[in-house]
Amino acid sequence: MSISLEQVTKHYGGVPVVNDVSLAIGDGEFFVLLGPSGSGKSTLLRAIAGLTGVDHGRIALHGRDVTQLAARKRGVGLVFQNYALFRHMTVADNIEFALRVRHMRARRRRERRKELLRLVALEGLDDRLPAQLSGGQQQRVAVARALAHKPEVLLLDEPFGALDAKIREELRRTIREVQRELGITTVLVTHDQEEAFAMADRIGIMNLGRLLEIGVPHDLYSRPATRFVATFLGAANLFLARHGTDGIHVGAATLAAPGQPAQPRGHEVVAVVRPEEITVAASPAELGRGFVARGVVDELVFNGALERLRVRLESGSGAPLLATADPDAPPYLEVTRTQHEQRSFELHPGQSVAVGVRRVHVLPTPLSSFATCATSLGEAEELARQPLLTELATRMKTRISVRCEPQLGAGEARPGADAPFVGATVIAATAGAAQRAEWLLQNGASEVLVLPAQAAAPQRVLIHWLDEAARGATLAVAASVLRHLSAAEAENVGVLHAGPGSGEVARELARRLARSPAQMLIVGVADLESFGARFSPLLDGGRWPVLIVHRAAS
Amino acid sequence: MSFRKPSVLPGFGLTFGFTTFFLSAIVLLPLAALVLAAASMHWSEFVAVVSSPRALGSYRLSFGASALAATINMVFGFIIAWTLVRYEFPGRKLLDALIDMPFALPTAVSGIALTTVFARHGWIGRYLEPLGIEVAYTWLGVTLALTLISMPFAVRTLQPALLEVQRDLEDAAETLGAGRFYAFRRIILPTVLPALLTGFTLSFARAVGEYGSVIFIAGNLPMKTEITPLLIVIHLEQFDYRGAAALGVVMLAMSFLGLLTINLLQAWNRRRQVQAAH
Repeated sequence: MSISLEQVTKHYGGVPVVNDVSLAIGDGEFFVLLGPSGSGKSTLLRAIAGLTGVDHGRIALHGRDVTQLAARKRGVGLVFQNYALFRHMTVADNIEFALRVRHMRARRRRERRKELLRLVALEGLDDRLPAQLSGGQQQRVAVARALAHKPEVLLLDEPFGALDAKIREELRRTIREVQRELGITTVLVTHDQEEAFAMADRIGIMNLGRLLEIGVPHDLYSRPATRFVATFLGAANLFLARHGTDGIHVGAATLAAPGQPAQPRGHEVVAVVRPEEITVAASPAELGRGFVARGVVDELVFNGALERLRVRLESGSGAPLLATADPDAPPYLEVTRTQHEQRSFELHPGQSVAVGVRRVHVLPTPLSSFATCATSLGEAEELARQPLLTELATRMKTRISVRCEPQLGAGEARPGADAPFVGATVIAATAGAAQRAEWLLQNGASEVLVLPAQAAAPQRVLIHWLDEAARGATLAVAASVLRHLSAAEAENVGVLHAGPGSGEVARELARRLARSPAQMLIVGVADLESFGARFSPLLDGGRWPVLIVHRAAS
Repeated sequence: MSFRKPSVLPGFGLTFGFTTFFLSAIVLLPLAALVLAAASMHWSEFVAVVSSPRALGSYRLSFGASALAATINMVFGFIIAWTLVRYEFPGRKLLDALIDMPFALPTAVSGIALTTVFARHGWIGRYLEPLGIEVAYTWLGVTLALTLISMPFAVRTLQPALLEVQRDLEDAAETLGAGRFYAFRRIILPTVLPALLTGFTLSFARAVGEYGSVIFIAGNLPMKTEITPLLIVIHLEQFDYRGAAALGVVMLAMSFLGLLTINLLQAWNRRRQVQAAH
């Protein structure tokens, strides 16, 4: 491995800007760190270069632990967005800087400089000052300078940010060629997904300081694992679909779900549909099994090769649900059509069309949506406005629905409506919350969030599972929650020894939660035996949000 | 050059007129009067006044102490400007405002304050005396006073220049293998050299012209701690206006020469960089 990072964490002012990042980059690989601004990608790059220290974790270059090593001894080349050329020096002096530092003889320095200038296609510009070069030429000089001392690793920090589109394209090609010719391991940081696709062997996507997913561009695009990656890499329509025995139900359509185990109970899932996977036709009959719903063309933009549409879905029963934080937002779909499709069926704004889906990808995320639940609709609606819940839903780009359940928590009574509980069910952390949570879990809810009215975004998430059978699901849910909380750190509580059936475990967890403010607990359970009684000290009128994950032992 | 270019401010004719008028009325005319006053002396008389041992001693002190003060200010002004530009710390704004205090204070007040602190029984002076260091009433005191009053010029000219030295430049130098000192000498210093020279010039010019603060701490012993401006005042008090004017002309000439040299040096430095480019 050329670069290996283990659990690298960096805080600024108590906030983790790089949070528990582990990564291995192979020899000669072109790796792109992609993320929005403020995602921590540049900080991570500077940590690799040695310009920023890390608070925790280990960095190794070619098997050598460099975590404590100064930047000048790491043998890396770094290229900056603003070139960072030495303006009072000529191109030649800039390129030879690293060689002069190393006391290389003048003749060998000149040879190396000529070689580098040829590599970046700037022969003959040796005696110019940086101010006399164009932006693209300056960045080429910066690349040559960074390569002069034959570093083992080349790091590029948004190197094309200040260049216009045409120069950018050219420079991209040059850098890729140079990288292939030298076989040098390269890490490029960018916020531009097109750039990432164009250059990367593999892409790592960062958000809120976390490295969410790593993969080759095509896999990340077609099979993202998280909502963030699905929506950040290209456009995506997110549906709340039902996963049944016969496939994925989106609106009226039933689609095959490759590689997904069938869910007998009709589990709710988040389905990603790319704009190019949506078809429009004059009538549902033309779309066959792929027909989802009817809609109206709201906006139509032609941009050369593709036509981009915004289609507003008609509401009504059986209409597909879009995973958006705002349930009142009109259900728009993004659609792109090729020239070929445009010719076969011409569209104009205001036209009514049948909308179909060719292919869906189901996100393996365990939390599809939230539903607040109370004995009266008013209480449920009030709970749906709880700030932590709305923040989580906004970040997860999912909806909060409300559900009134008059029999909630009442012993042997069954749920009123025949609809199953979908997504994570949210109840208020008032007296009797433990009993209500047990009732919901007994009646089919897989995740129950017990939420105090005053709870704010947690800084720390405690994770604990009562039964080994619930371990996998608990960790998956915790990972999903953590991905959407910027400042939170996870702590695994581990094994708590206590007699079965007693409330000892709940009391111990309550003690740990009480240690510092702004904590949250995620607890996994398989066996619901006397759950309410055991957890009433923690949940009844509790001050901390507690997310209970229930997976029965199979 | 066109005299009629549309612009927000009135045209070139009007602004150039004002420029020459004000420069004439405020700078050139009084200076010309000074030269005229001196010119009414006989040549031998002039030479006798400006080359008397007492005058020569005062030049040495005035220009020597000013050059020393400007040099000190380059070093410490750089450090102060660096601290203010590069670091965030509580009280930074306050410190930044404090830099300008010597501008605002009547110089006589600065002189009195310095004397209080550095006189033989002053707050600091009493600890320096056993070490054999006397500040008040020596050339050291003169240098100290000149350093104090000219310090803001050095800091204020260096600050914007240092702001432009991006941290990326140091980072680049470091990843290329340069140590701190090497990066400072080869990257930072050359980048801020023009500002450093300007700061020196302004500090020096301010120090040469200083009078108020020095006379309190200098003790004004002829040949030893007597600066030229003071000698001029002494001539004036004896109603020897022409002698005062003669000394004034010498100061004028020397200051002008000094400033001109540094300006030429700067221009040469700029030209050299442009030439290297072709």
